[in-house]
Amino acid sequence: MSVSSLASFEYLEGLPGTTFRRLYLQPSTTLAIFRRMLPHLAKTFVMAMLYMTKPIPLTDLDLWVHPSSKRQPTEALSLLSRLHIVHITARTRDEPQVVSLTKAFGSSLRLALTGGGDHQSFGVPSNDSTTADVDLNFLDDYAQMQWEGILHFVVSSVGEGMRQNTQGPTPAVKQLLESGNLVTRARHSGGGITQAGFSFLLQEANAQVWTLLLLWIKNAKQMEMDSVDVLSFLFMLGSLELGRAYSTTTLTDSQKQMITYLVDFGLVYIPPSSKNQFFPTRLATTLTSDATALRSVAAGFDAAHTNAAAQKGFIIIETNYRLYAYTTSPLQIAVLSLFTKLTTRYPNMVSGRITRESIYRAISHGITSDQVISYLSTHAHPQLLKASAAHGGGPVLPPTVVDQIRLWQIENERMKATSGFLFKEFENQQEYDGCAKYADEVGVLVWKSDPKRMFFVSRVEQLKDYIKSRKMK
Amino acid sequence: MNAVDGSDHYEAAVEGPSPSLLVIVLDTNPHAWALLAPTLPLSKAIANILVFINAHLAVNNANQVAVVASHSHRAVWLYPRPPSSSSSEDVEMTNDQPPKLDDANKYRPFALIENSLLASLRDLISTTAEKDVATTSTTQMAGALTLALSYINKATVLYSDTTSSSKPATNAIDAPENTTGLQSRILVVSVSGDLAHQYIPIMNTTFAAQRLRIPIDILKLAGDTVFLQQASDTTKGIYMHLRSPQGLLQYLMMAFLPDQMARKHLVAPTQEVVDFRAACFCHRKVVDVGFVCSICLSIFCSPPEGAICLTCSTHLALGDYGAKPAVVPRKKKKKRRVNGGGGDTPSARGTPVPGE
Repeated sequence: MSVSSLASFEYLEGLPGTTFRRLYLQPSTTLAIFRRMLPHLAKTFVMAMLYMTKPIPLTDLDLWVHPSSKRQPTEALSLLSRLHIVHITARTRDEPQVVSLTKAFGSSLRLALTGGGDHQSFGVPSNDSTTADVDLNFLDDYAQMQWEGILHFVVSSVGEGMRQNTQGPTPAVKQLLESGNLVTRARHSGGGITQAGFSFLLQEANAQVWTLLLLWIKNAKQMEMDSVDVLSFLFMLGSLELGRAYSTTTLTDSQKQMITYLVDFGLVYIPPSSKNQFFPTRLATTLTSDATALRSVAAGFDAAHTNAAAQKGFIIIETNYRLYAYTTSPLQIAVLSLFTKLTTRYPNMVSGRITRESIYRAISHGITSDQVISYLSTHAHPQLLKASAAHGGGPVLPPTVVDQIRLWQIENERMKATSGFLFKEFENQQEYDGCAKYADEVGVLVWKSDPKRMFFVSRVEQLKDYIKSRKMK
Repeated sequence: MNAVDGSDHYEAAVEGPSPSLLVIVLDTNPHAWALLAPTLPLSKAIANILVFINAHLAVNNANQVAVVASHSHRAVWLYPRPPSSSSSEDVEMTNDQPPKLDDANKYRPFALIENSLLASLRDLISTTAEKDVATTSTTQMAGALTLALSYINKATVLYSDTTSSSKPATNAIDAPENTTGLQSRILVVSVSGDLAHQYIPIMNTTFAAQRLRIPIDILKLAGDTVFLQQASDTTKGIYMHLRSPQGLLQYLMMAFLPDQMARKHLVAPTQEVVDFRAACFCHRKVVDVGFVCSICLSIFCSPPEGAICLTCSTHLALGDYGAKPAVVPRKKKKKRRVNGGGGDTPSARGTPVPGE
């Protein structure tokens, strides 16, 4: 549901099948993909098929599913086959379609559940007891410092004069940010933030980490690293336990090379005294967590900090568009000023208004209304959450404000482009009806016009199969 | 697609996967497992259940699990282990734990649960004295269910505390469909038969679960229990009687793994015919037809002694119960019908009697 899962997801979908097969060799990767990338119903299907000896006919699966909800199962199945998790046989005349888990995925997931094997993919703990001083607080502080350093670097170019005394990120990270188009150095002397940079700032921490990591994976090819190696290492990090030392001796060469970058990001910590062990920080261990789990983790993350810089929720927004933010962090204030007209600053809070002009300015920077709204709701003050809970779990933000922000965006957006495929010139009404209905069920239909017998879909693979099988009949 | 209102945003917030808590009540009745041993020994069943637990935890990071053993004479927590266990035990445990837990081939949370569960199960079995087994042949299902419910209650309160700071607990209970909070369910792996002597406590826990919207799933490996059927029926849980217990894992993965969210889209296997019989309060016998106190609705298999309700001590008027029905002469009726003339009036006629 979160932005992050979508981002990493789209990247994974684009990978070729051979990459998947190699990724699924590692049980930890399999577990992480299963846990993080799949929608709920897809997980159910995978688990049901996990210990089946024979492929299950598609018709049986249909029977299992409630007749009223047809859309979600088909979506789940198509996603599973796109991620090469299940294999669905082609539709032929004499044999029914059957579904089975792909061999690599099935055996790895079974191995992950039962343990055993000799893959060492869940991290080899280090038994050196030289680092007693590394505790959770220390790791949290370390991660926070590194990550805020990166964020400050991005935000400092907004022009609010927020240059802090923290030393910025390492040159390698700066270069990465530039190559990912999050900041540019071209025009102004101090560099400038780009549209991508703005949307990066507004994401939640976990999404930010993924954005940066994906950028880095894309760059990894230039650095002559294997993207499968890199990905499986990241997924392994997600399965490690916070506050434990792990050994670097069993890592591959490219993974060892990688870990130095991860130190820059604040994902792992290597104690200076012993170079052959590393500690994952909270940023790393929550890589593969769900959005809901993250929120509680984030609470723990912030509770560990005594400075009020990153309190969980600090924003109160009223129905009259007034906004009060209880924060002293220049970073948060700078982010808020991207879409708010801040008027007053007190020792412990700032206040301002969300106005049409301020939202326009944000939109012209490339920030979407959804980003603004999700930022506001993730950082909503406990008082707002309390009020929404009192009304039986209603919306956290005042609906008028949410709607108005959307309307302000729509004012400028008269047109929306969707890439896809147009189907037209059907032979008869029946064929058109069948195809359009199928497209709608599969959830790819974007637009249709019955009198013209045309429709537009966003994805074509399943429809192709369907039309082929219609032709056969 | 071009929805102008913000409604899609709210939906997205609700649709997010919510963590679920699974409490497994494992019936460890030694008598019943001894009978099952040729087809499915306890060790094998435990291994299957462990894989199932791991699968449940794999579905979501925040998923939780708890296991209660319903033993022959008491109900015991298997996981999480109660904090009251003496320190000497902990020392003993650490002796064999480290080598296993540092295994890089197993996801650490899985290993932790497995170790803890097996250790406490071993504990339970070793502390079971022979005379405990000899004195009773049933299992403390009601106690175990109560433990499970209280744990769920605690976990729910704790969860809503950490996430939305101050969501009142009563709200969570009475909400028509609380999709955002912790989704809890109970799975009973039952092997024992008759539980008639625990009828009242079991029904009480059932109704408590129904009110809290906690489905009670029943996996029946052996025996047959009327009341567990009723428990799963009232709480909209799943009831399954395995004819071939060897395939336990597949049944678990297919039928019992989906949580409430997924079940909305699936056809759940349930009992078509539910045995709704009750047990009487006086002799704990399962009865088809019985006597019900008109005041407190207690059920009796025969009229209680002295016609006084055993529960609420109301004096019950049995009326003419037990008296032989008097034979009513029919002659008069016949005459009246003749007087009525033709008997076409449709209203005042009784049921036609054969031979009239």
